[in-house]
Amino acid sequence: MSLNKRDVLRALAALTAGAAFPATAQTAAPDLSAGRAIGAAYRAANPAVDFTALRRELLPRGFSSDAAAQLRQRVAADFRAARVFMFKGWRLSETEARLFALLT
Amino acid sequence: MAFIDARTLPEATEIEADLVIIGGGMAGIAIAKQWIASGKSVAILESGGREMDMEIQALYAGGGVMRAPGNPDRNIDDYLIQSRVRRYGGSGNVWGGKCVPLDEADFAPRAWIDRSGWPVTRAEMQPFYDRACDLLQIPRFDRDWDSNPDAARPPLAIGDDFFAAPRVFTALSGEVDRPRFDAWCNAFVEGADNIRVYLHANVTAIRLHRNGRQVEALGVACLNGRRHTARGRAYVLATGGIENVRLLLASGGIGNHGDLLGRCFMGHVTFGVYENADGLNTMLCVSDGQNMSLYTNNSRDIAHCVIASTLEGQRRFGAGNFTTTLFDSETAPPPEDAAVLALASQLDAGGASARRHFCFFMSEHLPNLESRLMLAPEHTDALGTPRVFLDWVYSERDLDSLERSIAALGDALGAAGKGRIRWPVDRSSLLSILSMSRHHIGMTRMHRDPEHGVVDENCRVHGVRNLYIAGTSVFPTSGIANPTLTLTALCLRLSDHLKRQMGVRA
Repeated sequence: MSLNKRDVLRALAALTAGAAFPATAQTAAPDLSAGRAIGAAYRAANPAVDFTALRRELLPRGFSSDAAAQLRQRVAADFRAARVFMFKGWRLSETEARLFALLT
Repeated sequence: MAFIDARTLPEATEIEADLVIIGGGMAGIAIAKQWIASGKSVAILESGGREMDMEIQALYAGGGVMRAPGNPDRNIDDYLIQSRVRRYGGSGNVWGGKCVPLDEADFAPRAWIDRSGWPVTRAEMQPFYDRACDLLQIPRFDRDWDSNPDAARPPLAIGDDFFAAPRVFTALSGEVDRPRFDAWCNAFVEGADNIRVYLHANVTAIRLHRNGRQVEALGVACLNGRRHTARGRAYVLATGGIENVRLLLASGGIGNHGDLLGRCFMGHVTFGVYENADGLNTMLCVSDGQNMSLYTNNSRDIAHCVIASTLEGQRRFGAGNFTTTLFDSETAPPPEDAAVLALASQLDAGGASARRHFCFFMSEHLPNLESRLMLAPEHTDALGTPRVFLDWVYSERDLDSLERSIAALGDALGAAGKGRIRWPVDRSSLLSILSMSRHHIGMTRMHRDPEHGVVDENCRVHGVRNLYIAGTSVFPTSGIANPTLTLTALCLRLSDHLKRQMGVRA
């Protein structure tokens, strides 16, 4: 099953919307436009990437708990191999940066 | 009378004692305390008095520059006078009291770091660390303290390359508890009949016997013009990491057979930005919301930890020692931070409460011959002693070490599913953003071989049988740890050695 862009947005929203933050220190809800800014930076740095193919690669059967677990493994593997993307000093796994890129 | 104002002594007084300690700071006092009722006479020669005096403090004035590849030079002229205190009690009058031993890795020879390795191991230092903790009135550190006995404050589990390194505070600081610190500095002198402290007594020259192998006398000068002489069986130079070198250089370069005197200056600095011009911060986010109070609660009555790299980690990164110190962030994250935290927490921990912490990094300043202190003979102080110029130099290796360690920490956090790191600082701006600590390390380095050190493993100046050095200047490597505990432990070790040499029962 392949996903269209709306599906990806829904999946990423699901990934991020569940995040909770301590009331004293953190924000209440993530801002997808900020995630898009990160994604845009990744796209600018990687103009040759086929994001349609990437969408199928990262979320081949839609968003599910299995997909989240696989993404988790990919992220860990990225860090172990130092496959990272730097955004304003944040050291992100390439998979994370690509997920943000799918928001754009 | 245990305290004597040298300005009031008759001109050309001969001060004599079995053990003459030059400098009444933390090191000199730690040693002198070991000689109470020893049957040997001890004289401490202290430049300052019992209060701060800016005329005396001005004797410290000098010049300096900090340099690093690709960075504009940074003027540090003020550092020479602002980073130490010329007063009885020394810089103990103002230190924060933070105590921590050096790590096992700091003592170890590390093949990837030139001039690393001490002639003493961490294990051999343990009994002296224990006694230093007792002296500074803090709990003892276990030798391999890498787990936290407090289950409610768990350490961060991010693999074998990092560990939780504890710090504790002593109240024995003039800045923290003035009455207690004064009592620590004074009571032992007032109660001992064999220890005298000469205040306002500046040692301006170490005079060697004509054979060049032993100290014959010390030249002592007062700001009121009086001149005296001090003689002893053994002499301990304990005037701090910079003045130790200055006095040896000004005395003709004693101990400089290997051209190492004044070289390999190492300092401690912190690297971090907080709401800089671009609104960026140095941060560590904990994606699973773990309680991090082990690291962030740095109140004075409880041990707290930093995230430190292990010896194995340093080997794998090809880096020196490295720590990360965390603080709580009380502000809401800006949107981009929130997006990073949200995704990381969802991926790592199913959407747990991610936390972000401000942090700063410290990276070991590696031994470097070009980082050095020099006399500036065209400038002299009020006593005629040449002032100094500090050329504080970082190499590419230092910058690589910092950046590799930060990257390794970020990767370890991410691989373990524990968090992410933010380091928004370009290499070319490192000098402009760093903050300097008041630690002056390495310029009379310790080594068994006189070609590679100024002092031997007993802190004796190579080639001079009765001259010893106490303080941070003997450290061969700097580590990250606040150095007072280690310099105190080394002082106790030196004191034991001197007692054996002088036939005093321990």
